[in-house]
Amino acid sequence: MNINKLVWHEFKQHKSQLTSGLLAITLGVAVIVGIRSVSVVSEKAVAVNLDNLGANILVLPQGSNVDNYYSADIDAPTFPEEYVERIASSTIAGVDNMSPKLTRRIMVNNQKIVLTGILPKNELASKPIWQNSGLFGSQLQASCGPSPSNQTLGYKDEKLQRKSIDSISSDDCLVGYSAARLLNLKEGDKTTIEGKLFNVVKILPETGTIDDDRIFAHLHTVQNLLGIKSQVSAIEIMGCCNAISEGLLSKLRNILPDTKVTTIGQIVTTQIQTNKMMNKVSYIFLIIIVFVGGISIGNFMWANINERKKEIGMLRMIGFSKIVIYRMLLTKALLLGIIGGIIGYVLGTLAGVWLGPQLANLSVNPIPGLIGLSLLISVSVSIIGSLIPAYLAGKIEPFSNMQEA
Amino acid sequence: MILNVNNITKKYNHIDGVVDALNNVSFQVDKGDFVTITGSSGSGKTTLLLSLAGLIKITSGEIYFNDFRVDLASDKKLSEYRKNNIGFVMQSFALVPYLTAMENVLLPLVITNHHSKSDKYTKASELLNLVGLFNRRNHLPKELSAGQQQRVAIARSLVNNPSIIFADEPTGNLDPALSVDILNLLKNINVDNKVTMLMVTHSPQAAEYGNKIIKLSDGHLIS
Repeated sequence: MNINKLVWHEFKQHKSQLTSGLLAITLGVAVIVGIRSVSVVSEKAVAVNLDNLGANILVLPQGSNVDNYYSADIDAPTFPEEYVERIASSTIAGVDNMSPKLTRRIMVNNQKIVLTGILPKNELASKPIWQNSGLFGSQLQASCGPSPSNQTLGYKDEKLQRKSIDSISSDDCLVGYSAARLLNLKEGDKTTIEGKLFNVVKILPETGTIDDDRIFAHLHTVQNLLGIKSQVSAIEIMGCCNAISEGLLSKLRNILPDTKVTTIGQIVTTQIQTNKMMNKVSYIFLIIIVFVGGISIGNFMWANINERKKEIGMLRMIGFSKIVIYRMLLTKALLLGIIGGIIGYVLGTLAGVWLGPQLANLSVNPIPGLIGLSLLISVSVSIIGSLIPAYLAGKIEPFSNMQEA
Repeated sequence: MILNVNNITKKYNHIDGVVDALNNVSFQVDKGDFVTITGSSGSGKTTLLLSLAGLIKITSGEIYFNDFRVDLASDKKLSEYRKNNIGFVMQSFALVPYLTAMENVLLPLVITNHHSKSDKYTKASELLNLVGLFNRRNHLPKELSAGQQQRVAIARSLVNNPSIIFADEPTGNLDPALSVDILNLLKNINVDNKVTMLMVTHSPQAAEYGNKIIKLSDGHLIS
């Protein structure tokens, strides 16, 4: 027999006390695990939905008019294209994709058209609605959803992805839905823009935005046509909402001092607020569990110690030091914490899997990583709640058995 | 000489004033002695035993266990002192209700490192045999009679090979026949195992088992 076995023997003796002691901590952990299970999936879903709305940060020259976010680049002043490289080579995290563009109103076949020079792969990444049309490769990953590689911050930071450019030929163009109808163009046609003949490689699907009125061509081709070399009128950035809330805009302003860095406020605010609310709820429950669980465990331990006063006195009498008594009680608290954490994790996960589809219309899968969080919370609360009772148990007089029948 | 008690005094503060529980008590105990401490209720018998075991602090005087100064020792040293040198037999048996007879006997060895697991079980088995309860080793205290529980407590008091056993009214909860049984067992242990015995009792018959009898009255040693 050893101390752990002694603790285990005693542990098994007070099953009803044990159940009530475990109840608060187990339920608390279960609620946290349930919320986290749902919120992780929910954050990811929100991120995917919001990413599908497109880029959320716009870098414009100082003095640009930003009354209409989607058309702010049209006829705007310009700034050096080198700024793209400046962002890409910086250590700023949370920039998932960049799309530099140069935009001017021009006349094509006597019709007013918006000509936009783009770097195609980057443009693709910031316009997921085009990806879904099958025009380009696979769909983008959500920029703000937790990814296996970066669960904590929830954004990717791959410079290679930022720099992937140049895949559209200098003679090709993409024509927006409305522009194609206006100019009576279809795929395979040729059209002359600013004296240069272009192949219409794709008619873009309708987006309901100013992009429908645009003709897109390679940025460097447009720069040459317009005589505005190495200049752009805007950089669209798909920034992670977490990074934006952590000061991405001011970091961009620091490295691009003569620009105006703005966001699509509604999108970003919604995204940030949703994530913050989820986290807040988790924190509130964490605080509740620390107080209620800690008090509950403390109460259980104190009742248990009072009931075992004679026993503890006898142990002190036969030579158990205060340290050994503390160890016994804290081992018991550890055991309580481990059991509470495991049961809480299982209950919380089951609740999340069951309630996720019903409450949030989301399919929730168990998150094995949360078992560690559950145990950490449960064991910490249990041990903290047991510290004072253990200290008081050490003060029990060893002679409390003498002459008692 | 295993115990040397010099002029010990123990005063308690009480609402009615200071109570002298022990007053200038001095005596010596030699190795192998069976000392009985007698006196009427409230005479200071148990206070004396608690003081010798280092379970309460005396107000003045000196207590030596061999060369160890009991009255000045720290809580940690006193735990070591009791763990390594003393066995306890209580009137209330003081067994842990959720442990079997065997586990109760093993209890003092939980905090010692100088025995292997098998040594501990062998030792506990021998002692349960000595008190005639090996066949009841897997029984809980509630499944044993009062006399059997006290025998388990006696076996437990011997498991750490103590130099001295402090017994506080060990027959107080037993009927006369069982009391004789337990007293004979304690006497045999004292003689056969050469364990010094210090027994508090209010029974004159039980007191006769000692080769030395200390009589207390109102905290004073009267013989």
